[in-house]
Amino acid sequence: MTSQFQSLWRLLRGHRLRYGLALGCLLLATLLNYGVPLVGTVTIDYAVAGKTVDDSTPWLIKLFLSIFGGPEHLRAALWLAPVAMLGLSLIGGVCSYLKGWLVSLASDGIARRLKNELYDHLNRLPARYHDRTDTGDLVQRCTSDVETTRQFLASQLMEIGNALVLAGVAVPLLLTLSPSMTAVSFALIPPLVGYGYFYFRRVKHVFRQVDEAEGALTAVIQGNLTGIRVVRAFARQDFEREKFAGPNANYRDRSLRLLRLLSWYWSVSDLVALSQLGLTLMVGAHWVTTGEITVGVLFAFLSYLAILLWPVRQMGRVLTDLGKTSIALGRIGEILAVEREPEVNVGSNEPPPAAFTGTIAVRNLRFSHGGDLAALNGLSFEVAPGETLAVLGPSGSGKSTLMHLLLRLYDYTEGEIFFDGRELRTLPRTWIRAQAGVVMQEPFLFSRTLKENLRFGRGDAPDHEIEEAARVACIHDTITTFEQGYDTLIGERGITLSGGQRQRVAIARAILKRPPLLVLDDALSAVDGETESLILDALRQRRGRATTLVIAHRLSTLAQADRVLVLDHGRIIQSGRHAELIKEPGMYRRLWEIQTNVEAELLSATEAKLPVSPAGQP
Amino acid sequence: MSAVHLQEDEFRARLDAGLWWKIFRRALHLRRYLVPLFIAAVVLAACDAAFAHVTRWVIDGVMRDGVNAAFTRYIAVYAGLTLTLCTGVWIFIEMAGNIANRLAHDIRREGFDRLQQLEFAFFDTRPVGWLITRLTSDCDRLARIIAWGFLDIVWGVTYLLMIAVSLLVMNWRLGLIVLAVVPPLAIVSRLFQRRMLLSAREIRKHNSQITAAFNESIQGVRTTKTFVRERENLGEFEHRSEKMFDAAVLNARQNAMYFPIVTTLGSAAAGIALWQGGWLAINEALTLGTLVAFINFAGQFFQPINQLALKLTEMQGAQAAGERVMGLLATEPAIKDSAVVQDRIAAVRASGDATQALDGQDPEIETVEFNDVSFRYATGPAVLSNFNLTVRAGETIALVGPSGGGKSTIVSLACRFYEPTSGSIRINGVDYRERSLAWLQSQLGIVLQTPHLFKGTVRENIRYGRLEATDAEVEAAARRVNAHEFIMRLEQGYDTPVGEGGNRLSSGQRQLLSFARALLADPQIFIMDEATSSIDTETEQLIQEGLEAIFAGRISFVIAHRLSTIRRADRILVITGGRIEECGTHAELIRRRGHYHELYTSQFRREREEAVLEQSGS
Repeated sequence: MTSQFQSLWRLLRGHRLRYGLALGCLLLATLLNYGVPLVGTVTIDYAVAGKTVDDSTPWLIKLFLSIFGGPEHLRAALWLAPVAMLGLSLIGGVCSYLKGWLVSLASDGIARRLKNELYDHLNRLPARYHDRTDTGDLVQRCTSDVETTRQFLASQLMEIGNALVLAGVAVPLLLTLSPSMTAVSFALIPPLVGYGYFYFRRVKHVFRQVDEAEGALTAVIQGNLTGIRVVRAFARQDFEREKFAGPNANYRDRSLRLLRLLSWYWSVSDLVALSQLGLTLMVGAHWVTTGEITVGVLFAFLSYLAILLWPVRQMGRVLTDLGKTSIALGRIGEILAVEREPEVNVGSNEPPPAAFTGTIAVRNLRFSHGGDLAALNGLSFEVAPGETLAVLGPSGSGKSTLMHLLLRLYDYTEGEIFFDGRELRTLPRTWIRAQAGVVMQEPFLFSRTLKENLRFGRGDAPDHEIEEAARVACIHDTITTFEQGYDTLIGERGITLSGGQRQRVAIARAILKRPPLLVLDDALSAVDGETESLILDALRQRRGRATTLVIAHRLSTLAQADRVLVLDHGRIIQSGRHAELIKEPGMYRRLWEIQTNVEAELLSATEAKLPVSPAGQP
Repeated sequence: MSAVHLQEDEFRARLDAGLWWKIFRRALHLRRYLVPLFIAAVVLAACDAAFAHVTRWVIDGVMRDGVNAAFTRYIAVYAGLTLTLCTGVWIFIEMAGNIANRLAHDIRREGFDRLQQLEFAFFDTRPVGWLITRLTSDCDRLARIIAWGFLDIVWGVTYLLMIAVSLLVMNWRLGLIVLAVVPPLAIVSRLFQRRMLLSAREIRKHNSQITAAFNESIQGVRTTKTFVRERENLGEFEHRSEKMFDAAVLNARQNAMYFPIVTTLGSAAAGIALWQGGWLAINEALTLGTLVAFINFAGQFFQPINQLALKLTEMQGAQAAGERVMGLLATEPAIKDSAVVQDRIAAVRASGDATQALDGQDPEIETVEFNDVSFRYATGPAVLSNFNLTVRAGETIALVGPSGGGKSTIVSLACRFYEPTSGSIRINGVDYRERSLAWLQSQLGIVLQTPHLFKGTVRENIRYGRLEATDAEVEAAARRVNAHEFIMRLEQGYDTPVGEGGNRLSSGQRQLLSFARALLADPQIFIMDEATSSIDTETEQLIQEGLEAIFAGRISFVIAHRLSTIRRADRILVITGGRIEECGTHAELIRRRGHYHELYTSQFRREREEAVLEQSGS
């Protein structure tokens, strides 16, 4: 409990003054609003009913009377009463407005801060963390849980403040007015709050059931609509109608059940509330006849109940929601507690090189326990500035792992990588990544315009350079066919690009960055052969600018590289130039043989009408 | 795509009474809920107004009779009123809830039904998510507005009338003065409700953008890292969260301002009543009880006016949703049985002849002919022009060619998912528009490129092909397409859940299951859009054998990518630009050394290269 209070206190940092002021405004507003009926009391009793002031008159009444200049003066200047009521209401209203504003500034401010913090934190967590976590769950925590927290800060916290003001200030004032009337007027309030609290705790699972029923219904509709082609293909409309009818009726019936519970809640709650009013009215009226209280005081208490009953009936619900907030805060805290990716692993006083020439050396590189990533079992190779190195290998051989380690997205377990002679662990990650232009096999584009996506690596790139990069990536001509050209939105709210188009946009994006190192991780797999050659040619024209690492499957790509590494099971099994590799027996030569033999094989197979197995041996 | 406005919610300034009446009419048959709801609303309004009268009666009684006042009568009347009110509350929640949920259920059922009939062109322009929203939250929202809006309008108007009549009857001069507060109250309520609705909507808009931003940043975290964009991303996000903050604070300020203003207006009315009524009371022209009642009534205007304003605003806000849902219900399917065909179906149904097709014509499909078929999607360019093709029973047609060439369109036209823009498609020489749609579509077996499975078990998915098939038949179908083996290796065999859209199975497995499903349907026309993604050799082999079982004795159209499938076809059509560019058997086309030859060799090479890599990997 104390730790919860501490975490709440921490959460409020930077906004504590606002909350303090809001609490002050709330106090003032309550006092002023409670003053309004008292004007009625004083007027009714002393101006209209002609009561006189004596020793038994509560001091609060005396205070009000003295403000009005005594009963006689008030009777003569009755307009003072509405002016006072209006004045109190108005100032009270201003206070309550200020309270609302302050609380919103504070609660929405805290929510905004939380969201910003979470956003930045998630961007800076290691890739390994993102491998393990589910996007939907993270998003849920960043949105719904923050919203739950915000609601607590905006309303529940103030409700608690309200209750404190009520118990600490309003009730004592009422007690000075009439202790017995106060007791009668609050007699049923605790049961009303308790009833709400226990009721909403009990029906929580019914709310959940309705949510689940709605989810099931949505799932059926979604299943039907996404599979509408299959439905039609088998003419299964009637079957689908039947499948839909169950969840549709279930959702209705669950909602009705919840409603039945709510109808009981509200009618019983109304019964208690009205009984409270009735009790006050009847007992008060009786005490008016015995002279215990005046009509004005009865009027005041009836008015207070009218103000009070509604928030009190909500309080039970507010209390049940408190538990949700601590759970939400816990879930948010879990994310923020994860450590960010360290900039540098091994401290070094040497600043990173001013310019990276593109010399890479890899020594005995090992990597294991990578989850989805394949292991590396000791790789050693070097790349000269401006060289194009192609990496070939079956899936699971460690090609992608190598690329990820070079970019410091993961930490290698053993071995070393040097950029211009500097070990990567001594260099800031951001510096390393800034040296590389990366294109993944399934590149991620953001849902904004094409131009904004292309500028991702260099925000200040001028338009003509964007176009040039797009030309190199053979995507410029496609872009100009779009109605809005480079300003076309991509993604859900815009156009959908094909796999090959996405890859080409990603290549342009990487080139535009003008990196000393270009990494293409199977980045042309969805591009047709002809376009691929064009892109590779264009990239070669730029050679001298960038060292290039290419993961590729196609021989046409491999043949254009200066050197080829063949990986298998995390080891280099072959390496050399194209001309050398085609002479060695192995995977590379087998690929080459397909290329050269395919024509002959094809013709002979067709002529002889022999069945050709697609996986046939060469 | 631009045909449909996907924009979520525009606010309509003008209330379309016709639209709401149209929706309300659908609730008219729920008379057994509507009538009690109406009565409850009126009784409730009367009770609400009566409480002030009871207070007046009691106060006047005790002032007049002192201790002799008729307390038992007061208590009895008050208790009676309380019980009536609570019962009324119970009834109105129950009735309105029933109307809301039943109406939503019915509209949703009708909408779902309509979606089962509408042609594919309808779905082309509307994303699934958009349609789901129409059937889920829109239906709920409209039904809720109808039910609760009806209640609030009846209750609010009655309550207002009751208060007005009470005031005028008690003292018409004073009544008129107090009633003067109603117009400003109504204006303020409408003004604020509208603004609050708009600003709340603004918050939701920003909120969904923030959710999208979180989602995107988590999915694209590696891209962000490699482009070292963390800082810029945060900057952009902070801009978004700032906007949401501004919207939230604006909404909170409107709320915080609205309630004090209406409270102050209430105080003003009460003050005037106190002032003017006080004068009358001093001069004994008004009893104390009546004075208190005046003050009470003056404070009661707010509730009904607030509710009326709220409902009107909600209706304005939901009008766009109403138009969309009603629009969906009113959309007539463009492809459906003609009147003649419907008559024939009725005649056959009456005769009970099982040897005929359900439209009384030839049940066997001998030939399918495309006669000068041209087609365009909506207002798009022509996809097919003057296309001619005749296919006989037992023939397998492979369609190859570049994407966008018209292959899928040919298949969709054959299935009558679309109808030709000009020309005709004939079955056994009869235009298929003169045949029953349900009959034709129940003769289809379709396997799509990304085979869609429904959430459910393996068995349920295969049985989708023929609902009355026994377990043995399901299994037999699975055996014939080589799916049985892998199914038995699954954890729960045929009872294994396949997950959402079949995502727990590999794409090869999904394909085999969709073969089994198609085979079980025993279709006369088999359609396959082959997957382009590479599948391992073993599964490839299984699929080819499975296809063998399906092709036998049927008319098959295959959009083919794999060489093994293409070679198997009786005729290969190379489709480019909506025309048949080449046509013939595999051997013929290879010899021609045209487009097909080129296509074939590059595909052949690719398959071989993949095979080489695959062998090394294992």
